[in-house]
Amino acid sequence: MLKDIKSPQVKKKRVISDKSLTFISALFAILAGLVMSFILLYILEATKAESNYALPVQVFNNFLTYAFKDTRSIIKVLYNAAPLILVGLSVGFAFKAGLFNIGATGQYTVAAFFSLVAVILWGFPWWAAILVAMITGGLWGFVPGYFKAKFNINEVITTIMLNWVALYFTKLLLYNLPELRTLPPGNRTDPIAYHNPTGLLPDLGLKELTGSSFINIGIIIAIVVAIIIYIVMNKTTFGFEIKACGHNKDASIYAGIKAKRTIVLTMIISGALAGIAGAVSFLAGTIQFTTDSVLLPMGFNGIPVALLAFSNPLGIVVSGVFIGYLYVGGQAFEGVYSSEVTNIILSVIIYFSAFALIVSQMIRRKLSNGNDDSGTGKGNIFKRIKEKTVSLFKKKEDVVENDEEEVTN
Amino acid sequence: MDTVAILISKTVLYAVPLLLGALAGMFSERSGIINIALEGIMIVGSLFAGVFLSGAIINSALAENAPQLIVFITMIVSGLAGLIFSLLLAFAAIKLKANQVISGTALNIFAPAFSVLLIYALTYTGNSKIPFPDLINLNAEAFGIDSTNIADWVNTLLFKNLYLTTILSIVILIIAFTVLYKTKFGLRLRACGEHPQAADSVGINVIKMRYTGVAISGFLAGIGGFAFAMANGSVHQSDVLGYGFLALAVMIFGNWKPFRILFAALFFSFFKTIAVLASTISFLPTFGLIKVENLYKMLPYILTLVVLAFTSKKSRAPKAEGIPYDPGKR
Repeated sequence: MLKDIKSPQVKKKRVISDKSLTFISALFAILAGLVMSFILLYILEATKAESNYALPVQVFNNFLTYAFKDTRSIIKVLYNAAPLILVGLSVGFAFKAGLFNIGATGQYTVAAFFSLVAVILWGFPWWAAILVAMITGGLWGFVPGYFKAKFNINEVITTIMLNWVALYFTKLLLYNLPELRTLPPGNRTDPIAYHNPTGLLPDLGLKELTGSSFINIGIIIAIVVAIIIYIVMNKTTFGFEIKACGHNKDASIYAGIKAKRTIVLTMIISGALAGIAGAVSFLAGTIQFTTDSVLLPMGFNGIPVALLAFSNPLGIVVSGVFIGYLYVGGQAFEGVYSSEVTNIILSVIIYFSAFALIVSQMIRRKLSNGNDDSGTGKGNIFKRIKEKTVSLFKKKEDVVENDEEEVTN
Repeated sequence: MDTVAILISKTVLYAVPLLLGALAGMFSERSGIINIALEGIMIVGSLFAGVFLSGAIINSALAENAPQLIVFITMIVSGLAGLIFSLLLAFAAIKLKANQVISGTALNIFAPAFSVLLIYALTYTGNSKIPFPDLINLNAEAFGIDSTNIADWVNTLLFKNLYLTTILSIVILIIAFTVLYKTKFGLRLRACGEHPQAADSVGINVIKMRYTGVAISGFLAGIGGFAFAMANGSVHQSDVLGYGFLALAVMIFGNWKPFRILFAALFFSFFKTIAVLASTISFLPTFGLIKVENLYKMLPYILTLVVLAFTSKKSRAPKAEGIPYDPGKR
């Protein structure tokens, strides 16, 4: 504790800077995801009657290079990345306030549905439909925020419940709005282009040029929104209040921040971001809203996107593109294994990012402080990791940074 | 009469996985670890139950002579599968002090993907389901009663949806209550969830207790997954339809106490059953809507929210849940 108080004045030598540390732990998580899933495929191959050990290697190679095959694949990566970045921003924004928005999928679903209603039934242009999506997504985010602020109910439970409510709610509406659906069997929404071409996201004439129907301004919208969120987060009082709430709610209340209001607002914005993602996905005109009773997976994908970038809005742009790349590559598994392999990679990435930063901070503390830190992690495994990292980073010792961590925490 | 009989028997049927899942969550949270991975653990339990049941054992003489023994062994298998899977959460949350909700989410995403992949590797088809054999139902004959001698609705009420897990879940509930409140172990476990530093100071091994709590949780949730698959048409389908999350809500509604959890589980499964049977129950209003069952399917979730809002004042979560144990903090 004493150390914490005087630390702003005392300049300590840092072996690794904060930024490179987060970068290293993200890389570590990605690497772990790829290696673990490769091992799993290898084991599955070994259990087959006629094992072909060259197959997993070959498939994995296809998986990694699939996205670079041609221009169309690269366009598809960006097409996937746009909603991924936006749901990533949704989850990441809530993370900053110490909230876990696992309900991005519900907000995404409701918003996507209403953006389609706006375009097909009401004849709205695309930008107005995005506004509709923001409002509905925001409303869906408001409920868990209000429940958290007013009744102190864990937002994880409420957002999960609202995911299922969103699913059945949109299904009920879709069944009861026949004008929205295709001709029988009528289990999906009608193509947008058929009703209202202005409802489609503009492609700036690139659709004909590239010959890919997956190109649109979605990725530009995503990047612009990311920059706005970055500014709100880092340059405004509101952003500061959110981060203060996330670090220590009680302290922020003591400092005069209206924590309850901040929580509700954060969830509304988080929901609105997931809503934009829903609109961008469905207004591309490449997929249709169906009556299938499964939660749309896109909302859950925001979690690894946000985690990999440690909720940094600009980092989320990078990790969104990366995970979009993984999803496009996932097609390489189809027919040979199952495209679910991509989800396995993602789950391992999430698992490792849950502790990668904590473990690496622990290692760094040991590296820079020697033995004076009474911190935990006495296990042998850390000693071994420590010894290895010491030799790895010895060359990087010229990187010296001010000690900022103790102040912000 | 028949409709009521079906309603009651189905309510009990759907309450079993909720009860087991909520008890699982209770053991974990009472030791101080938030187990949001219940959903994933249930999927893994159901998966290994399916793999085990569809294995060679089904054609053996044992399955002919003592089918309920097979069901019992399957329960153990699914429980152990859940236990092993839950250790991944325990390792990240206890040893590495990771964020418990995030590592739990990782397991939730992993489990269905792994299930699809494993079934794919076993069958080489695009199928992601494993149907269970018929022998697992407990019928009137198993109790030495001739089903033709009793009224139809009695048969429906008592035997149509009866499985070994239904009976054993009551046993598990009583054991859970006894362990948690009447034994030294239970007291220590609860202490670790309330104030681990204090528990440590009187010589309780917090780390070991928390590992045990999560392991028990994994075992029960695994069985819960098996029970869910049986309730949901005797098939493993790589998904438990949010029952793991519902179980968490049931646990909160049940205020982390075993018998209240039983009540909460019955409450929710009643509304869940109404949703499932909505298209067959003639006296439910349709409000002039097409496919009105979707409206009733929302009910359990909305009611959960409403009930949680009303009971939030009395709700008392274990104090130290979700906080990694740090012996340096006092």
